[in-house]
Amino acid sequence: MSFADHLESLLQILSAGLLLGCLYGLMCAGLGLIFGIMRVINFAQGEFMMLAMYAGLNGVAFLAPGRAWAFPVAMAVALAVALLFYGIGAATHFLLVSRVSGSRVVGSEDGGHTGQLILTLGLSLVLQNGGLMLFGSSPTSIGNAAADNSWTVGPLWGEDVMIFVNQARAWSAILALVAVGLTILMMNRTGVGRRLRAVASNPVAAVYMGVDVERAFRTAFGIGLALTAIAGVCVATFYPFQPYTGFDFVIIMYAGVVLGGMGSVGGAFLGGLVIGLVQQLSTLVLAPQLQNTAVFVVFLAVLLVRPQGLFGRGVERA
Amino acid sequence: MIKTSRRSLLATALAAPAILSWPARAQARTIKIALLTPLSGPLARSGELERTGATLAVEDVNAAGGIKAMGGAKLELTVADAGASVEQVTAAAQRLVADQDLVAGMGAWASSFTLAATEVSERAKLPWVTLSWADSITNRGFRYLIATSPPSSQILLAALQPLLALAGKSAGRMPSTIAMINDDTAVNQSNMVPLRNGGLEKLNLKSVMDENFTPPLSDATPLIQRLRRAKPDLVLLGTTATSDSRLLLQTLTEFGMGQGKVPVLAPSANWGTPEILKNLGANNLEGVIGVAGNWGSKQQKPLIDNLCHRSGEPWLVQDTLSNYGHVLLIADALERAGSADRDKLMEALLATDTKEGPAKLFLGGHLSFEKNGRRANPVAGVFQWKNGVPQTVLPEADAFAELTWPRPA
Repeated sequence: MSFADHLESLLQILSAGLLLGCLYGLMCAGLGLIFGIMRVINFAQGEFMMLAMYAGLNGVAFLAPGRAWAFPVAMAVALAVALLFYGIGAATHFLLVSRVSGSRVVGSEDGGHTGQLILTLGLSLVLQNGGLMLFGSSPTSIGNAAADNSWTVGPLWGEDVMIFVNQARAWSAILALVAVGLTILMMNRTGVGRRLRAVASNPVAAVYMGVDVERAFRTAFGIGLALTAIAGVCVATFYPFQPYTGFDFVIIMYAGVVLGGMGSVGGAFLGGLVIGLVQQLSTLVLAPQLQNTAVFVVFLAVLLVRPQGLFGRGVERA
Repeated sequence: MIKTSRRSLLATALAAPAILSWPARAQARTIKIALLTPLSGPLARSGELERTGATLAVEDVNAAGGIKAMGGAKLELTVADAGASVEQVTAAAQRLVADQDLVAGMGAWASSFTLAATEVSERAKLPWVTLSWADSITNRGFRYLIATSPPSSQILLAALQPLLALAGKSAGRMPSTIAMINDDTAVNQSNMVPLRNGGLEKLNLKSVMDENFTPPLSDATPLIQRLRRAKPDLVLLGTTATSDSRLLLQTLTEFGMGQGKVPVLAPSANWGTPEILKNLGANNLEGVIGVAGNWGSKQQKPLIDNLCHRSGEPWLVQDTLSNYGHVLLIADALERAGSADRDKLMEALLATDTKEGPAKLFLGGHLSFEKNGRRANPVAGVFQWKNGVPQTVLPEADAFAELTWPRPA
C-alpha cells in the first residue's frame, strides 16, 4: 500500500470513529447519568433505546415527509421522542425502579443492587419480547437520503486521497454533542442540576437540605432515558434495527461508562467516544473480526492503570 | 315396556368400549413433524419465513386428504424456537427429540445452527431435512439427514462462471480482480473454501481483498475503505444478517461505488428479502446479484402466486419455498413408506427420485439424494434485483428475467 492509501485509510477511519463515538458517547451519557446519581445499574437501557428507535420510525412514518426530508424530520422527531422517554423514564422510576432503590433500600445489605439487577434484567426481557410481538422481527430503519449520501472532503493529497463523511452520521454526531453539552450545562448551571448533584453526592444530606430525593431520582432516570432515546433515533437513521438491537449496544454503553469513569456525564461521553475510536482505528492494524476484542483489551488495560476510569477523578461526579 | 335381560345388559356393557372408541378409530391419527428455526433474536425474520412455508404446506397436504397410505393421517406441525445461539439451538433440539411421537424434523436455517441441531437429531435417529448449505453438514457420515440445497462448495461457482462469461460479452472485458468480504459464519466461510483453494485461479480472478468480520457490524466504513483502495472489478459480499447486508451496500453507495458502479455478488438468500428493499430502496439494489440454494421458478408461477397471496409476502425467498418443499418431501416419503416408523421414513426419503410433487418446489425440478443425504445434482438459484424485485435469472429454464451485467445508474 502506498503512503496515500495509508493516509486516506487513517483519516477515513478516524472520521468514522469520531462520528460513531459521539453517538456511543450520548448513549453512555444517558446510562452514566442514571448510575452516577442513583447508583442503579439499568440493564434495560438498550431496550429503552430500541423502543425509542421504533418510536422515531413511527413518528417519521406518521409525518411521511418522503425520503429527501426524512432525515431533518427524524432529527425533530428525536427531540419529541426524548420528551416522551423522559416521561416514560419518570413513570418507570415511579412505578418500578423506586421500589428497589432510594429510600426503600437504605440500610439494606446490598444497597438494593440485587433487586435492581433482577428488575432491570426482567424489564429488558419483557421489552425485548414485547417488542418482538409488537413490531415483528424484520430489521428496519428510517429510510432517508442523508444515510446514502456523503460529503466528500478532498482531494487532500495528490488526486487520490478523499474522505467520505456520511451526512446522517455527521448530523447525528452534531446533535449528540449539542445534547451532551446542554446536559452538562444543565447539571452545572441550573437548580435542577444542583439538586441532582446534591443527591448524587449525599442523598441523606440532600434530604436535610430540603431536596426531594425521590423526585430528583425520577428526574435523573427520565433524563438518562431521554438522552439514550435521542441516540436511538439518530442510530435508526443509518442502522437497521429490530427488537434485539438494544443488546448489541448495551455492552458498549457499559464499557463506555466504566471506561470514562462511573458517575460522570462528561466522562461517560468521553468513554463512549474512546470506544468508537478504538473500535474503528483497531481495523487499521487488526482484522475487522477483532474490533470488539480490541475495545475490551483497551478497556481492561485502562482499568488496570486507572481503576476509577479515564476521567473518574478529572471530571466532577455528575 | 322393553324387557332388559341380565344377559343383554352384560353384552351391551362389554360392547360399549368398542362402540365408544369407534369414531376415534375411524378418525385418522396425526403425524407429528417439527420445524426448528430462529423465531427470536437477530435471525427471527428468516425463521418466520421458514415457518410460513412449512405451515402452508401442512395446510395443503391436510386439505388434500392427508397421508393416504396411512388412512388419511393428518400432518401436525410443531414449531420450536432455535433462538440466537448454538447453545439455544442445541437445547431446543433436545427438547424436541424428547417427543417420541415426532417422525421428522426440519431446520434450523443457519448452517451453524443446523450443525448443532443435527448432532442431537442424529443421536435420536430422527430424520431431519434442512436447506442449510455448508458442506460440513453432510460430510459427517450422518444417516438421518437430508439436505436439499447445493453445498457451499458448488454454490458460488454456479453463479460466478456464467456471470464472468456474461461480463466478457456485455462489458467488453473480463473482470480480473475480486474483493471478498464475508461474515465468519459457517456457511459463508464454507462458501469461500473452493474459491480460496484454487477456484479463483481457474476463473482467472485475482483476489485483491479477502476480509472476514464477526456479525453484527456496527459500521462498515473500515471494510469499504479497504475495498475502495483495492479497486476490484467485482465485489463478493457474504452476509447472514440483513442488517450487515444493508450497512455494507449503504456504505458502498456512500463511497461512490454503489448502484452498479462495482458489480456486487451476494451468496445469501437474505439479499433477496422484502426487508432489504424496504431498508435500501430499489435504486441501491438495482443490479445486485444474489445466489441461494433455491429461488422461485417461472415454471411454478401459479403455485408461487398462490403462496404469495396466502402468506402476504410480495415474493417468495428460499426459506419459504424450500420449507414448503420439505413438508411435501416428508409427506411423499410417508406415502411411500406407509408408516410413521423413523427408519422406514428415512429409507423412503433417501430413495426419493421424482420430478413431481415436492420436486416442483426446487430449482432443477428433480429430487433425488446421495447416500450422505445431499441432494443429487442440485441446482442453485441466481437472482438479480431488477426494478425492485429479486428476479430469478439462472438457471435459464426457471428464469423470470435475463442476467445482465450491472451498469452504473
